[in-house]
Amino acid sequence: MKLLAATTRYYLLLTAGLFVLASGLLYFGLEWALRHEADEQLHNERLYVQHLAAGGKSLPASLFAYQLSRSTSPRLTGFSDTLLLDPVEQELVPFRQLTFRLPATPSHAAEWLTLRKSLVESQDVLRVVLGVMLGALALLLLGVVGLNRWLAKRLWAPFQHTLTRLRAYDLHRHQPLHLPLPVIVEFAELNQALNQLSERLVADYESLRQFTENAAHETQTPLAIMQAKMEQLLQAPTLAEDEATMTLLGELLQASQRLSRLHQALTLLSRLENHQFAPAQVVPVYLDQVLRDRVAMLEPLLEARNLHLTLHVAPNLTARPLHPGLADSLVHNLLQNAIKHNYPDGDIAVSLSQTALEVSNTGPAILGDPTRFFERFRKHNAASESPGLGLSIVQHICTFYNFRVGYDYAASPVRHTLRVEF
Amino acid sequence: MKLLLVEDEAALRTTLVPALAQNGYVVEVAINFAQAYEKIKLYRYDCVLVDLTLPDGDGLDLVRSLKADGSPAGVLIFTARDTLEDRITGLDLGADDYLVKPFHLSELNARVRAIIRRRQFQGQHHIAFRDLLVWPEQNEVLVHGEALTLTRKEYDLLLYLLANPGRVLTKEAIAEHLCGDQVDAADSFDFIYTHLKNLRKKLQEHGAENYIRTLYGVGYKLNLE
Repeated sequence: MKLLAATTRYYLLLTAGLFVLASGLLYFGLEWALRHEADEQLHNERLYVQHLAAGGKSLPASLFAYQLSRSTSPRLTGFSDTLLLDPVEQELVPFRQLTFRLPATPSHAAEWLTLRKSLVESQDVLRVVLGVMLGALALLLLGVVGLNRWLAKRLWAPFQHTLTRLRAYDLHRHQPLHLPLPVIVEFAELNQALNQLSERLVADYESLRQFTENAAHETQTPLAIMQAKMEQLLQAPTLAEDEATMTLLGELLQASQRLSRLHQALTLLSRLENHQFAPAQVVPVYLDQVLRDRVAMLEPLLEARNLHLTLHVAPNLTARPLHPGLADSLVHNLLQNAIKHNYPDGDIAVSLSQTALEVSNTGPAILGDPTRFFERFRKHNAASESPGLGLSIVQHICTFYNFRVGYDYAASPVRHTLRVEF
Repeated sequence: MKLLLVEDEAALRTTLVPALAQNGYVVEVAINFAQAYEKIKLYRYDCVLVDLTLPDGDGLDLVRSLKADGSPAGVLIFTARDTLEDRITGLDLGADDYLVKPFHLSELNARVRAIIRRRQFQGQHHIAFRDLLVWPEQNEVLVHGEALTLTRKEYDLLLYLLANPGRVLTKEAIAEHLCGDQVDAADSFDFIYTHLKNLRKKLQEHGAENYIRTLYGVGYKLNLE
């Protein structure tokens, strides 16, 4: 069914119901009002007659002489409103009057007659009509609001459901949406379109992912060949005497190694983004152990730059379920970053507790927006040979495990702090 | 020492074979899974070097098969798949070590040498080079019979040089060997210079002159004579 048809149907039902109700009320209300009016008129006439009789006056030939006034002097003809004193109730009462002229006949002269009718009773009728109309209108308003709310819950439920599913949709799960097809045509069409869209997205995403994976795999082999050949070339005896060629070859090797390192970092990033780390590989990891191993490994680098590293590990840390490679990469990149962006004779403080890992270091002041440090290829120094992927990898690993990572900067003395909260 | 190299890339094979042969190993080659499977069933090797991605099978199955047969051969896996999973699975299956492509040939030499040393001699092995005598299990270095006191890194460095006598070792290869394969040490090679200077000085003090040659801007080399 079309959404408009369904909505209209409910609105028609509401208005028809209200229409019937209002008609009934109007019918009975008016009938009561008219009856009441007649009763009151009769009652008034009785009072008038009783009043006359009590005053010892003769009963008039016609009732309510004041309702007919005759005059031989000219009057304004036509309809008009006036107020007259009610002889019984002694108060001014609204009257409607019609004045006209009776032309002269042979028997009598011309006359002006005024007929009057009290308006008091018809006010009841007006009140009933007004009451019923206002009541019906109020009911209509309330009904429309109520109906809309109810419709939003009932008719629009599939739409809300679609919205919820869309909000929660995660392309990384490689699953199309599979939305149900509701009765309402528009929603069914919407869901169908969204289903198709998500299927296309998943297919495109999958082919892109495969391309990345293949590219990553296939480029490693030629890179490996290049490096192996160059290293072997370096062993050539004739080269030992040719320093210029040797240097050239050394630079070539360096460049190819930079390329392969860059390649490995980008592959890791795309694997993180594609959630390609199987939960099966997760093992209990003692981060303090990883930290100590890495610090020991980087010892020569610390020594070379005369950096002082203090390691503070909270006692009784429990193991954390992590992928061992990712845990290692996280710790390594944080340490590497602290070493790289530091002064000679600088200082690095690492502290690990059950809830957070914090690495802070001295270093030159950094210009620019700290939130952008986590972007890829973001370099502090454009001339640096490092590709600037370390912090991006840190951020991706943290996102992968729902860790929070933050950067803090203190100006004097300059201190950079990276904090990972588990 | 007999090695089996299982590698489907011809270009890589032609470089790896002479590089390994230079260190005195007899190197046999298998270019696919089927050939490798046949060879490990028929012959005995001291060390098998397996590429995990082969056109007709999974290198990990070769490792499984070797271990199922109770083979004494050491196993080194190398792979272009940079998947941590494969490395972990390989080591769980009983592989002795892994290398991720691309790797340094000098690193390959050092690893193969370490594997064979561990497997074949149960620690009763020494390395003799010119006037040097090294007992790896005792971490002992003797020059003309005199003990040499080295730091951990200097010792690692010496062992690495000894695993590649006469070969040019690039600074990058040495840095990665000492600081782990992820080291992004593009601007931090100075530390190698410091360690090498100290090592060279200690060797000279004990009369081992002119052992390590510097190739300016490229790396270092252990002189054969």
